[in-house]
Amino acid sequence: MPFQEKSAWVMSVSLILGGAYYFGIVKTITAEIGQLAPPILPTVVLYTIILVVISVVGHIAISILTPREADAPLDEREKAIFQRASHLSGYLLGAGVLLSLGVYLFSYSGDALFYGVFASLMISQLAEYVFRILFYRVSV
Amino acid sequence: MAHRPPISNHVRELRDQHGSMTQAQLGDAIGVTRQTIIAIEQGRYSPSLESAFRIAKAFGVGIEEVFSWDE
Repeated sequence: MPFQEKSAWVMSVSLILGGAYYFGIVKTITAEIGQLAPPILPTVVLYTIILVVISVVGHIAISILTPREADAPLDEREKAIFQRASHLSGYLLGAGVLLSLGVYLFSYSGDALFYGVFASLMISQLAEYVFRILFYRVSV
Repeated sequence: MAHRPPISNHVRELRDQHGSMTQAQLGDAIGVTRQTIIAIEQGRYSPSLESAFRIAKAFGVGIEEVFSWDE
């Protein structure tokens, strides 16, 4: 498995775990207060820390396993894979933001807008890594 | 999925003819990863013109002896 594919797996896992933590907290607070929980800075900070720790530890581990590949620059196929994955995930981000804005126009909930945009960012980022993994395995 | 052009190649055969050159050695010679060489051999990726010329040069043959357009 190429280093960049391993890297995409690490990032996917960190995004899934981070997202599960973040929205798990939001769900719990929402259930406790009986309405949509407002965005809380410490939760966002913890989410970021989870993401950074998992990605750094994961990348150190895969770099130790394949040090030569870790140092290598992207080749032409990898650049094409990255470009295509980024292009497609951009559509997801745009669609998610538009949907969130649409929801805001009907609900006037700033909190829902925040979560919608934040979730769109998470999903599009995760999709980018999933697309990379997919394109590594099929033709580009 | 990307549309695959009808391009075939003889990279694997040429590697065998050149003292069983490994995919990693060929990749190093032309500046791509081993996985990209695998993708080229399996027809999952069509290399750039520059890489195609580099592959031909690595085997000391013309580009038409490595790649062909099959229609």
